[in-house]
Amino acid sequence: MKAIKGVLLTCDSAVKQILLALNEKGSFIIEDLDDYHVVIKADEEWRVRRELEAELEKNTYSLE
Amino acid sequence: MRRRRKGIYSRVKDKTMPGLQTSEPGPSTESTSHALLGFLQSQSQNTLTRLYQRPSSCLSVFRLLGPLERQLVMNLLWMDSAIPASMMSAWITREGRKPYEGSLSILSKLHILPNPTAKLALNLTFKTSLRHAITGGGTSGSFGVPADRDSKHPSPSIEALDTYALERWETILHYMVSSGSGRYPNRPSQGVLLLLQRSGLMTSVQGSALQITSSGFQFLLHPPHAQLWELLLQYLHMAEERQMDLVEVLSFLFMLSTMELGRDYSVEHLSQTQTAMLEDLRDYGIIWQRRASSRRFSPTRLATTLTSSAPPLPTAGGAASNTQGQGFIVLETNYRIYAYTDNPLQIAVLNLFITMKSRFPNLVVGAITRESVKKALANGITADQIISYLTTHAHPQMRKNKPLLPVTVQDQVRLWELEKNRVKSQEGYLYTAFASQADYEYVLNYAKQLDVVLWESAAKRCFFGSIEGHANIRGFIERRTAGNV
Amino acid sequence: MDKASHLSIILDLSPTQWHLFAQPSPTNAHPLSLSSFLSQLFAFLNAHIACKDENTLTVYGAFPGKSILLYSSVNITASSSETEAPADANTYRPFKILDSTIATSISQQLDELSEMNEEAPVSLVSALTKSLCYINRNSNSSSESLSKTKTKLEELGVEAEAMLDPRVLIISVSPDQSAAYISMMNSIFSAQKLKVTIDVCKLYGPDSVFLQQAAHLTGGSYIYLERPDALLQYLTMSFLPPPSLRTLISVPTQDKIDFRAACFCHKQIVDIGFVCSVCLSIFCKPVPVCSTCRTKFPMKTLQRLNAMKPPTLPSNNLSNTANTPSPAASPAPSHRRTPSMTGTGTAGANSLPRSSTIGRGATTGTNGSAPPRNGDGV
Repeated sequence: MKAIKGVLLTCDSAVKQILLALNEKGSFIIEDLDDYHVVIKADEEWRVRRELEAELEKNTYSLE
Repeated sequence: MRRRRKGIYSRVKDKTMPGLQTSEPGPSTESTSHALLGFLQSQSQNTLTRLYQRPSSCLSVFRLLGPLERQLVMNLLWMDSAIPASMMSAWITREGRKPYEGSLSILSKLHILPNPTAKLALNLTFKTSLRHAITGGGTSGSFGVPADRDSKHPSPSIEALDTYALERWETILHYMVSSGSGRYPNRPSQGVLLLLQRSGLMTSVQGSALQITSSGFQFLLHPPHAQLWELLLQYLHMAEERQMDLVEVLSFLFMLSTMELGRDYSVEHLSQTQTAMLEDLRDYGIIWQRRASSRRFSPTRLATTLTSSAPPLPTAGGAASNTQGQGFIVLETNYRIYAYTDNPLQIAVLNLFITMKSRFPNLVVGAITRESVKKALANGITADQIISYLTTHAHPQMRKNKPLLPVTVQDQVRLWELEKNRVKSQEGYLYTAFASQADYEYVLNYAKQLDVVLWESAAKRCFFGSIEGHANIRGFIERRTAGNV
Repeated sequence: MDKASHLSIILDLSPTQWHLFAQPSPTNAHPLSLSSFLSQLFAFLNAHIACKDENTLTVYGAFPGKSILLYSSVNITASSSETEAPADANTYRPFKILDSTIATSISQQLDELSEMNEEAPVSLVSALTKSLCYINRNSNSSSESLSKTKTKLEELGVEAEAMLDPRVLIISVSPDQSAAYISMMNSIFSAQKLKVTIDVCKLYGPDSVFLQQAAHLTGGSYIYLERPDALLQYLTMSFLPPPSLRTLISVPTQDKIDFRAACFCHKQIVDIGFVCSVCLSIFCKPVPVCSTCRTKFPMKTLQRLNAMKPPTLPSNNLSNTANTPSPAASPAPSHRRTPSMTGTGTAGANSLPRSSTIGRGATTGTNGSAPPRNGDGV
């Protein structure tokens, strides 16, 4: 039996797919649990969030 | 008991339409008069009885109570002897049962109704003082001793007092709102700064200048009445630490709340503690004094409306736009905001969650945008607070709309808030690669008892536990393996 | 729920009745003088203001032949209060102003009255009408017109709609004046329309038919005080809770209501009346021509009605309609001009007591227990 330190991300399935895509570029996922949960490396969390944010931002429409 | 009390208030709130009444805080904020009652309930019986010796304090506490409690107190006020509890409950309708029980428990915690289970009678001190308050008379002088007329310095006009109170109060708020931007307008006094810091509204990182905190941002969006009580409650907490006599502090505040606007009162009859308080209250804009050494003081509207729900500040539009009422914001379905104001504080507060487009002498035009709301959310402001602020300060013209704010905008602001929370992260450990199903279940059961399991899958034979539980689980497994060997 | 409420008090200040009330006599077991009444009333009024800073109050006095606004918490100007009540550290100033204003104006009015020889009937209806107008003005006027009149309400930034929960409390000592029937009913209907609750506290004299109806039709309570010495306790328990609170606290309501009406011709309270089928005017005996709408009735029906007047009264005829003295008479259908005979029980009550039960049981609460009384309050 093993215990792996990490951060559990709970998200919707769309975000999960983006996370998987980001993982291709730089691996950070420890374990892909199910459609809504994924465990990532604890020290990567902020970088992942930032990249995810940037990715989501591309999909928003702004008035300006 | 506490739960029940909360239940009553939520019931009460359900009945008031959120947003239609400007003087009431939005549904998301706890009403502050209750907050003071909570503080009073935490005080000892001795303290409260001393407080109840003054008619003005009784009157103010009475006003802070809910409508049902007030009626119960009044029913008992003129009774000379105790009445059986059954006699009072015979007056209560079936729907009134629950609120009635809650009211009795509140009154008993405030030591107004000492023993509500058997016979009902008001606390003797409270009864005597409240009777005095209503019929007048007595020698307590608790409603403030008016100063003699001074021909050299006539007492300030109500307008002057309003301007003063507004200026003081806005200095505090403005200081808070602009602290993030690095520009510092007028600094409030040291006492105020300390209070802001102690209440967690502002914080100083490693001795640097004070910075507004996320609760500070939320504070800015509260109605003035709530803000005032929030600070005063903090003041009361500090008073305890500063070894000030709490009864003196409270009864002075209550005395102020029963005073008349536009009248001078003498400082002669104040106790030492109360004289010391004058300086603090002056800083908050609650009272006005010509000079620090003056022998007289005038309460401002902030003081005289402490126990009422009337707006404590003359007009939100500032002195220049006195003709306007409370509301100044027009919000359109296309997210545009027109704010008819020239008040720097209001503009600064709006700037927390809108993008400014243009400014005119009496008008600010902006828009609620995704970026502006995101910035606000990042500061700790919630969508509900934004909506309730807009509702409270809506222009009279907007009040014809039903619902008041465009639904599209409300929904979008809430959606933006949800968007921010698309990913939730929890730190912990993933436990996997168990030798057998029994092994897995054994450890999982233990973790469940500790209530640290965040995710589990029997199929994959693994689970995720929070970081708090790790030490225990690790110890548990080690003990087990040691036992096996 | 915790909103400000407005209370209009109408005081019946008939000198004769108060004089009689103050005299101990076999029929008057609990005399009450005007001054001790006022001291208890002041405690009640203060309690109303004490409940909430925004609560508003107006007091009207119904004197013989005229009605006067004695006090209004909305229009207190600083200058007038300054002269009347010197500051006092032991009293909450609004209370002091209230008490002294009312006391001064009552004694002033009574002094003026004493010069008259004959006492005119108390103008209770006029006071009621004025208070309804007042409520109407304050709840209807737009915030714009309010801002022109510098009222306290406006100063506080309270919007016009803030005058929620308005109610009227009539404290009566005089008997009914049947002459005032029509105007009384009209005020009651206006009150219904304005959603104003009318409470009635009857201190002395016979039960009032009209006031019972007023309370019943507006959802208020009518209380005949059996122990006027416990006045303050009665007032506090029954009339202090605003209508919104009365869902939680039950206040006494009457179980018997006198629904009799007064006829339009002689202004007398009648047990059996004759209602014009066109305009619903009420008459005490069959008439050939309706005096209100000038409708002529056939001779035959008149004779038949005259024949069957009292004592026999077919009970199925009793189900007739409201006796609204409506001025808007619709054009008469020519073929049916018959004054129909009816008991004057009005619509609105489920059980119509057509007999002249004058409800003395009105003081008991719905729960069957009278309010606990208390020796003397003030």
